[in-house]
Amino acid sequence: MFGRMFIYKLKELVRNRFLIGWNFLFPLVLATAFYLGFGNMIKDDPDSFKAIDVGYVNTAGEDTNFHKVIGELSEETSDHADILNVSEYTSEEEAMKDLKGEGGIYGIYVDDGNEIKTIVPFNGYRATALNQIVREYENKITLIGNIAKDHPENLDTALELVTKDMNIAKEYDFGSGISLYLQYFFALIAMASLFGSWISTEMIEGMCANHTEKGKRFECAPVSKLMSIASGVLAGASMQAVSNAIVVIYIEYVLKIKFGIPLWNVILITTLGSGLGISMGVLIGALVKNKRLFDIIPIVFSMTCSFCSGLMWDQIRQMIQANAPILNKINPAALLVDCLYTRATYGTIDVYYQDIGIMSIMIIGALTISAVLLRRRRYVSL
Amino acid sequence: MSTSVVAIDNLVKRYGDKVAVDHFSLDVKEGEILGLLGPNGSGKTTTINCLLALLKYDKGSVTIFGKEMKPESYDIKSEIGVVMQNVAVVETLNVYENVDFFCGLYIKDKALRKKYVEEALEFTGLTEYKKYKPMKLSGGLLRRLNIACGIAHKPKLIIFDEPTVAVDPQSRNAILEGIRKINKDGATIIYTSHYMEEVEELCTRIVIMDHGRNVASGTAKELKSSLVNRETIRIGIPNRTDKIFADIKEINHVYKVKEDGEDLVIKCDGGEHNLVHVLSYLTDNNIPFGHVSTQLPTLNDVFLEITGKELRD
Repeated sequence: MFGRMFIYKLKELVRNRFLIGWNFLFPLVLATAFYLGFGNMIKDDPDSFKAIDVGYVNTAGEDTNFHKVIGELSEETSDHADILNVSEYTSEEEAMKDLKGEGGIYGIYVDDGNEIKTIVPFNGYRATALNQIVREYENKITLIGNIAKDHPENLDTALELVTKDMNIAKEYDFGSGISLYLQYFFALIAMASLFGSWISTEMIEGMCANHTEKGKRFECAPVSKLMSIASGVLAGASMQAVSNAIVVIYIEYVLKIKFGIPLWNVILITTLGSGLGISMGVLIGALVKNKRLFDIIPIVFSMTCSFCSGLMWDQIRQMIQANAPILNKINPAALLVDCLYTRATYGTIDVYYQDIGIMSIMIIGALTISAVLLRRRRYVSL
Repeated sequence: MSTSVVAIDNLVKRYGDKVAVDHFSLDVKEGEILGLLGPNGSGKTTTINCLLALLKYDKGSVTIFGKEMKPESYDIKSEIGVVMQNVAVVETLNVYENVDFFCGLYIKDKALRKKYVEEALEFTGLTEYKKYKPMKLSGGLLRRLNIACGIAHKPKLIIFDEPTVAVDPQSRNAILEGIRKINKDGATIIYTSHYMEEVEELCTRIVIMDHGRNVASGTAKELKSSLVNRETIRIGIPNRTDKIFADIKEINHVYKVKEDGEDLVIKCDGGEHNLVHVLSYLTDNNIPFGHVSTQLPTLNDVFLEITGKELRD
């Protein structure tokens, strides 16, 4: 029954011209418009990621593993662009003189051979990256320590890893030419994902007796309401995910705008975004009773969230982050943009996983609340 | 004795202060076509929604096939077909897919479902339109599709909620004929309408509703026989005198004579040849008369007598 309903729901959605137009064609048109508007700026953006200027002070008196690591991160290889631009100083005081951000250095590493002291007084992605490099290095060192203790026979191989596989850049795709203008494309994908909410509100409308006669027919049938809705949710999410994937492929391969993220990873994130849009729509459908609001709220919701995530003005998300960061954490579109941007700029750091975690929690939460509200029941009025 | 298919006992449904269904009871026997007749807003659809466990009600009970009807009574629901007042189909699916989709909510076996769907299309005369999308169908065909979606799974109990609203006479007749056939094939029918002619023509028993109450029930004949007025004769008599009035009043079964413009309206409380008796009197006394008509009581008269207003008010 579930499979049959899923297939019919999918058929129903694929043939819905309104949904095809807005959820699939409109993002393609908007992506093209963005490309025509600032496609070249993305390719030659002066604000694209540049190697981070950092000071290095060696107080150990000998070459250290960390020194080798940052040396490697300062070189452009086939795997990554140069991430760090290291200036070596003889003392912390000397380095402090240059610690002025723009025009100087953004942080200082003080290396005594055992511990790395990180001095990063500025906020922003550079600070995050500088701290993350040290954290990652220390994790590896701890791992090596454990290997030395538990499996001394493998120590040589492990030590080799310190110098060879301390290639943080492989995990953190820094410097892949990320432009701030890319945010517009990320916001566009987020918008397309939230348009999925229209799919689910329309679906809920057709499945609940208090909204339509078709809903009455469903509720008179001997099938579980939650199962019917679940099949619809899956069909909606599948359609939205495919639609998003096509938009992503179009941007990357037709418009030749590089996301700086492996394609499978972008599609994975946008699939999560599709789930987010669909589940938000289900929640709206479960909460809203008024027929007129039923049509208006998903539009207002998706457009407001998209606007606040930087669809029309790239600085708005940063402005919200500075003044009311919680809004960025509850705005599904902002979360999706942040997730894509973080992944593209810093790689798979904590913030990326945090965004994924929050989005997953939102999906589960929205569907759980909706299931409670929509479970089989009698209505007070029809 | 026929088994009870639907039993509604003392049902009360309020919307705030307004009582939509007021201590309403109903017993539908197997094989019946029960007509639920009442003006718009009389509580017919609310009663049906309570019956289908879609609406919460304040008091009373609903039993179908001997079991209490609840939202999760899937065993009962699998034996019920509902034809909604408004067309309830999926716009993006074609005729065949619509019937197959809704039938599939009841029938899991693919081969059996295919057979049922084809039979439903045949029955409603939609076979040649099976590839059409609903938007391409005329109003009458759309209504037929609505019916096909509600009956394809061959339910034992079918509820038709005003299925002929806004339907042309030809489609209406086809729908009524179809309902008769479904009933003949064994289904029990509950048919709600505010069209008394339809109900009278189709239903084996009628329940008249007003203000959520069951104001009268019985066969059409039983309901009409409960009326004082059994025949209304209207005759155009240009030269009327008091004597004519008095003489006609003396004719057996005539209980009321009144003027209505050029006409004389004569009401009779029984008898079989009242018109013959009145015309004999007029010809015997050389009283000239013009047009003549006679009218037997309708369900509207029943409603009028019980509630003091017309069904279509």
